[in-house]
Amino acid sequence: MIQDYLILSIILFCIGILGVVSRRNVLIIFMSIELMLNAANLAFITFSRFHESMDGHVLVMMVMAVAAAEAALALAVVILLHKHKGKLDSNVFSLLKG
Amino acid sequence: MFADWLFTGFSILSVLGAIGLVTFRHPMNGAMSLVITLISLAGLYALLSAKLIFAIQLIVYAGAIMSLILFIIMFLNVQTDDLPEEKDRFLYLIGGGVVLAPVFFFLKKIVQSLPASETTIVGNGFGGVKEVGLLLFKDWLLPFEIVSILLLVALIGAVVLAGKRRVSK
Repeated sequence: MIQDYLILSIILFCIGILGVVSRRNVLIIFMSIELMLNAANLAFITFSRFHESMDGHVLVMMVMAVAAAEAALALAVVILLHKHKGKLDSNVFSLLKG
Repeated sequence: MFADWLFTGFSILSVLGAIGLVTFRHPMNGAMSLVITLISLAGLYALLSAKLIFAIQLIVYAGAIMSLILFIIMFLNVQTDDLPEEKDRFLYLIGGGVVLAPVFFFLKKIVQSLPASETTIVGNGFGGVKEVGLLLFKDWLLPFEIVSILLLVALIGAVVLAGKRRVSK
């Protein structure tokens, strides 16, 4: 039973990595990062259920707070980039290329 | 058993939502698929008897964060012409899948080498608000305060970034 939940978590994490490496839309990339955070949360909850300790629940709450902070900052950056370039393509955003 | 059927249904829904996220072209469709994934993950948390996290996942993730993302997508008014041309994205997806397959099988092997643990019945208060709250404010007090500082910094940073007005052009 524990293996099923963990394998589902691995599958979701791999799909998240796939979204980050293969898509060029910044919003899709951002949502894939959220998907990876959720996969990690599922692993936390699974382990805390099968070890019967609730530390995993607290850690999941921390991860959710970090995800909320990340969402606020990342969306502000997306708005700025969209204002500057008028595009959502991550290939266009090469300001640090030098 | 009924819980096994629920697990199968929720896991299939979550994987389908994740696949929809990485394959749909328009970010609005992708965001809706991600909402399906998040809600079915909340169902899985309920199956794992994490009551508080179930509620928080529905309210904070599927409610607050996703509505923020949807608001931004609508605010930017993304048309189909504005989207990056991703004609060969299925090629990239297949290539990424080939690269990620060894990682997946490696992690799967690790997981399957874990000792098999039987599903035990947890106590009545497992994962409730009172128990998690006691743990949060006793053992995890310092990380909790640090997270509050992090949220404050993120708030100020978002205001500074998004509210910038260019004075001279």
